Amino acid sequence: MKTPPLIALCGWLVPGSGYVVLGHTARGLTVGITIIVLFVLGLLIGGVRVVDPPPNFLADPVRAAINKPWFAAQLLTGPIAVVAAAAGRNEAFVASHARVNEIGTLYTAIAGALNLLSIIDSSWRAGRKETSP
Amino acid sequence: MNIMLLAAHKAYTYVPFVKPLPLGWTHWYLLLLPLCLAIAVVYKSIRCQSMRRVPRESLVLFVFIVAVMMATAGALATLVNYLER
Repeated sequence: MKTPPLIALCGWLVPGSGYVVLGHTARGLTVGITIIVLFVLGLLIGGVRVVDPPPNFLADPVRAAINKPWFAAQLLTGPIAVVAAAAGRNEAFVASHARVNEIGTLYTAIAGALNLLSIIDSSWRAGRKETSP
Repeated sequence: MNIMLLAAHKAYTYVPFVKPLPLGWTHWYLLLLPLCLAIAVVYKSIRCQSMRRVPRESLVLFVFIVAVMMATAGALATLVNYLER
């Protein structure tokens, strides 16, 4: 039942939860908390608008990802990035510039990249469990 | 002009998530330390078979990343200074 795609989906929905589902609770909590803290720190540094979705993202996702590759990395953190992107559309949130924006974007994008790493590893572990006798 | 900038900087109120951290902070590079620590912790949590080894190994990796970044920055600064002469 714990198939690699299901574990990958769990890992995307809640960072680190793929490991928890597989029984690696300590690993999942360590990875998940670190990724979420990193993402939230990025939002605290640069404001919510560091998660800046490109225009026409849903209509032409490939071109949008090429135009703003940081957003593709941020999106890998999971629904938290989607919520931040939706909230950032509100004009009340102030956009950051220069180095503050760069560091906030870097934090959130690295959080997504680390989550991709954990998704791949947990899915691979799930596949190995499935094939082992 | 500098007085006006200073006054604007002092008048700025930081609101978490809504407004970014105040600009003009000169020690921005210190913000790279938590980033390096998070990378080391996640990487070693994934790689290590036993979670007992993670704290020590991630600390070693963290120190290694910071040392290599500092060495690279020093080498690049030396190169820039040499080329500017």
